[in-house]
Amino acid sequence: MTQTKLPDVPDGQCFHCLQPLPADGGYRVVLNNQQHQVCCYGCQAVAETIAQQNLLHFYQYRDTSNPLQIPLIPEELQQLTAYDDEQLQQQFTRVDGDARSINLSIEGMTCTACAWLIEQHVSRLPGILQVQVNATTERVNVRWLPSTVKLSAILQAIAELGYRALPFQAANQEQEFKQRRRYFVTRLGVAGLATMQVMMLAVGLYFGVVSDLDPQLRQFMWWISLFMATPVLLYSAQPFYISAIRSIQAGQPNMDVPVTFALLSAYGASAYATFINEGEVYFESVAMFTFFLLVGRYFELLARQKAVSAASNLVKLLPAIAQRETAVGEAESVAVSHLQVGDVIHVMPGATVPADGELLSSSAGVNESILTGESRVVNKRQSDTVLAGSINQNQAIRVKVTAIQQETVLASIIELQDLALSRKPKLARVAERMASKFVVRILMLAAATFLIWTVIDPAEAFWVTLSVLVATCPCALALAAPTAVTGAIHKLNKAGILLRNADVLQILPDVKTVFVDKTGTLTTGEFKLQEFYIHHQPDSQRFSESKLKALVQALENHSEHPIATALRQLTSERTTVTNITNETGFGIDATWEYESDKSVPVRIGSLRYIQQWHPDFKPSLNQCQVFLATDDKVLAELDVGDKLREDAKATISAMQAVGIEVIMLTGDRLELAEVVASELGIKQVFANLLPADKLEKLSAAQAHGAVAMIGDGLNDGPVLAQADVSITFGHAADLARTAADVVLLRNQFSALDQFRTITLKARNILRQNILWALIYNIGILPVAMAGFVTPYIAAIGMSLSSLIVLVNSLRLYR
Amino acid sequence: MPMNVDWFAALLMGLAGAGHCVMMCGGIASAFAGQVNTGQLFIYNLGRIISYSIAGAIVGAAVGSTAGLADNGLIGLRIIAALVLVAFGLYLGQWWFGLRHLERLGQPFWRRLQPLATALRQRQASYSSLFMAGMLWGWLPCGLVYSALSWAAISGSATQGSLYMLAFGFGTLPAMFAFGWLNHSLQQLLKSQGFRKLMGALMIVYGLWTMIIALRQLQVI
Repeated sequence: MTQTKLPDVPDGQCFHCLQPLPADGGYRVVLNNQQHQVCCYGCQAVAETIAQQNLLHFYQYRDTSNPLQIPLIPEELQQLTAYDDEQLQQQFTRVDGDARSINLSIEGMTCTACAWLIEQHVSRLPGILQVQVNATTERVNVRWLPSTVKLSAILQAIAELGYRALPFQAANQEQEFKQRRRYFVTRLGVAGLATMQVMMLAVGLYFGVVSDLDPQLRQFMWWISLFMATPVLLYSAQPFYISAIRSIQAGQPNMDVPVTFALLSAYGASAYATFINEGEVYFESVAMFTFFLLVGRYFELLARQKAVSAASNLVKLLPAIAQRETAVGEAESVAVSHLQVGDVIHVMPGATVPADGELLSSSAGVNESILTGESRVVNKRQSDTVLAGSINQNQAIRVKVTAIQQETVLASIIELQDLALSRKPKLARVAERMASKFVVRILMLAAATFLIWTVIDPAEAFWVTLSVLVATCPCALALAAPTAVTGAIHKLNKAGILLRNADVLQILPDVKTVFVDKTGTLTTGEFKLQEFYIHHQPDSQRFSESKLKALVQALENHSEHPIATALRQLTSERTTVTNITNETGFGIDATWEYESDKSVPVRIGSLRYIQQWHPDFKPSLNQCQVFLATDDKVLAELDVGDKLREDAKATISAMQAVGIEVIMLTGDRLELAEVVASELGIKQVFANLLPADKLEKLSAAQAHGAVAMIGDGLNDGPVLAQADVSITFGHAADLARTAADVVLLRNQFSALDQFRTITLKARNILRQNILWALIYNIGILPVAMAGFVTPYIAAIGMSLSSLIVLVNSLRLYR
Repeated sequence: MPMNVDWFAALLMGLAGAGHCVMMCGGIASAFAGQVNTGQLFIYNLGRIISYSIAGAIVGAAVGSTAGLADNGLIGLRIIAALVLVAFGLYLGQWWFGLRHLERLGQPFWRRLQPLATALRQRQASYSSLFMAGMLWGWLPCGLVYSALSWAAISGSATQGSLYMLAFGFGTLPAMFAFGWLNHSLQQLLKSQGFRKLMGALMIVYGLWTMIIALRQLQVI
C-alpha cells in the first residue's frame, strides 16, 4: 500500500462523497493512517472497503475541487483551443489594458437561471475580471486577463454547463434569430394542431353525450386524445423542461418548475386512467396549457428580438470590403476585418465608412444617422474624425484608419445598448425575485392543497392540485418586467437615446429637480459674436461697422484666446494693424492704420484692460465681455457668446409645466448666466461655481428627492456621477468618455422631452403589468385551492393573464 | 391501496436518491475494474439490484407473515414506512439527518460481507466476478436502501417485496449510468442542491400523503 498523503477535500465536506457534512461533524474513517471525516455510515463503509481493497488511488486521482467540474471530451476541446489564436481573437475581442473583453453568444440559454449559472461558474475561473450575462440577448460579456486564463478555458467552462458559447458575430445573429423562431414555431404548430383535436374530443366528452356515453367509445376517445397529446408533451413542451431543469440546477426554481410538474403529472395521470379505463383524463388541459405557454414565450421572443435587432442592424450596415490605398496610391479591395490602424482607405460617394478614421481629404459631407438617428448631413473638415457606419454623401474621400472592428464608436454604441438590456431596473429585478419566491410558495401551497384535499376527499385531491399549479403559474409576473423594459429600450434607441443604466427608467419619472449646466448644454457650445454694440462716435471720425469688424478680425488673428476663433471671420473687409502686443489674460494692444497715412493706438480685450485707458468707463450692455477702444474713446462692446439651443426654451417650459424645477448651474459670471436664464424662463441660477460647488449644490438638493443632472459629459463628470439620473448630449465620437446614464445622440434639447415621455409610459406599463400579475396570481390562488377551478379553466386563466401583460407591453413598440 | 402506487414510490425513491448515489458510488465501479465498459457497468449494477431485491424478499416475507397477525398491522407498518419516507425526504434535502441512525443497523452485517469483497478483488475482472462484486455492493449500509426496505416490509409478501426493491434499484440505475456515459449536464443536475431539495420535498409530500391515506383507513381522520 502506498503511504502517500491523500488529497484533502474542502472543509465541511464528506471525504468520500464530497457532500456537506452534518452539523455535528459526522463520522471518522482512517485511511493511510490519516483521519478523515465522512458524512454517514455508508460513506464510512465504502471508504473502509476501498482502503482494504488497495483502491486508494481512487481518492488520489479524483477531482475534489469542484463537483461540478467534468472534463470535456478532448475533441471538443481541440476546437475551442482554436480560439486562442491571436489573429483570430483580434476580430472579436477588445483590448483594454492588460485585459481583454469579448461578447459571446450562448446557445441553449433559456432563462435567467441559466444566466445565473453561467455567471457563477465562469467568474470562479482565475483571471476573470467580469462576467455579465444578458439573458435577453443571450450573450455573455467576459473581461479576462489573457496572461492568466485562456479564452478556450472560458469557452470550456461554459460548455461544461451544457451551453455552447461562440464569439458573437452580428452576421450570425440573424441566423440565430431565425433558428430560435423556427424552434418555437414548429413546437407551437404541433401544440396548436393537437390542442384543436383534443379540445374537440374533450368537448364531446364533457358536454356532448356525457350521460349515456358508451364506455367503449369513451375509451376510444381517450386513446385518441392520448395519441394527440403525446407529441405535445414530448416535443412541444421541451423548452419548459429544459428551463425547469436548469433553474433547479441553479437552485433558483423558476416558473417552469410548476409548469413541468403540472404537465407531467396531468399527462401521467391521464395516461394511467386511459390504460385502466377508469378515472379522469386531462389531455385537453395538457395540450392547451402547453399551447398557451408557448404562445406567450413566442411573443416574448419576438419582442426581445425586435429590441436586439434594432441594435445589431447597425452592424449589418457596415461593408465587408474596404478600398485600401497601396504604397503606389492605388486602391485595392481588402476585407474590412484585415484593415489595420494606420491604413489609408478610400470611400466612394454613397458608400458606408467601414472604420473610424481621420479625414485626409479637405472636406466631406457624411450622414451619421445610424449613429445618432439624425439624418442631417454633417460637414467634416480635414483631420476631423469620420465614424464607421456613416455614409459618405459627396465626393470620394480618403480616410486614415484610427479604429477598427470592436474599437469603433459604432461598436461601443452597440455595446452600450446591450448593456442597458442586461441591467434591469430595480422594479424588474423585484418582479423577478417575486416570481422566483412565488414559485417556491406555489409548490409548497400545491403540496399543502394536495394533503388537505386528501383528508377531505382523496378523489378530488389530484385535480385540485393540478389546477392550483396551472392557474397560479406566475408567467404573467415573469413576463411583466422584461417585456416592458425591452420595449422601452427599443423605443429609446430608435429616438437616438442611449441608456447606460436601465434603472433610469424607474427613477426619472420621480425626478422633481433638474440641474442644467449652461455652456454646451443649454447653449450649443459654439461661440459666436452675438452682439456688436458700437458706441456713439463724433461725425468727424466715424468708422463704419464693417470697418470696426475688420479691425477686430485683424487683432484677434493674433490672439490665442478660445473666444478669438469666433471673431476671425466677421467681414470680408481688410484693414492693417501693426506693433501687435499680446498681453495674455488681458487682450491685445496694437497700432491701427485706419487710413493710409493715419494711425491710432487700439486695444481689444477685457473690461479691466480697457479700463486702464478709460478708468471711468462702464459698459452699456451687461452681457458683453470684449471691448474695443482707442486711447481716447471706447469704440465698441462685443458679446461673444454661445447660441442657445433652439428648442431649449420650449422643452424647459414643458418640464416646468409638469412641476419639475429647473435649476441652472454654471461656472460663468452671474450677469451672464442670468441673461440666459431669463430668456429660458429658468428661475433659479447658481453662478460662479467651481466643480466642487456644483457637487455641493446637487447633493444638497438630493436630500429632498431624486435629482437629474444634464451636463457636458466630459467636464461635468463628478457632478453627473453624483446625480440620480445623469444626462448628456453626446457627440457620438465622445461616447466612450462620457459617464452619463443617458446619452442623447440626437443633438437636440427636445430629445429630453421625448425621453421623459417614453420613460413615463414605460414605468406606467411596468407598474400596471406587475400590479395586474400580482392581483391575478394572488386572487386565483384561494379560488383554485378551494377546488372551484378545473384544470382547463386554470389554463385559460393563466394564459389570459400573461397575454394581457404582453399586449400591454407591446404598446411600447408602437 | 393499489400496489402500483407503491411501485411508483419505489421508482421515485430510486430516482430521487440519484444524486446521492452518484456522489457515493459513482466512481467506485471504475475503481474496482479499472476501465469498465457499459456492459460491465450494467452487470455490476444488476448484481447490486438483485441484492436489493433479495433483501426486499426477505423483509417482505418476514414482516408479511407476522404483521398479518395483528389487526390493522399492515396499516400500522404503512404509517411507519411513511414516516421513514418523510425522514428520507428530510435527509435528501439536507434538513435533518436522522436517517443516518438507520444506517448503523446495517453495519454489523456489512462487516461480515466485507472480507468476501476483498476476496473477490483478488480474482480477474470477469463478468461473473463483477456481478458478485455488485451483489456485495448491494449490502453496503445505506440510508436510502433502508428506507426503501421499510416499504418492502409492508408489501406483505416475498414476491411483492422483491419486486418492490427491484423497482427501487432500477430507479437508481440512471444515476449510476450517468457517471459512465449519460450526458454531463444530467449528471450535474442530479448532483445539484436544487434537485436534491426538490426531490426531498417531493418525498416528504409523498410520505405525508401516504400517512393521511393510512390514517383515513384507520378512520382516525
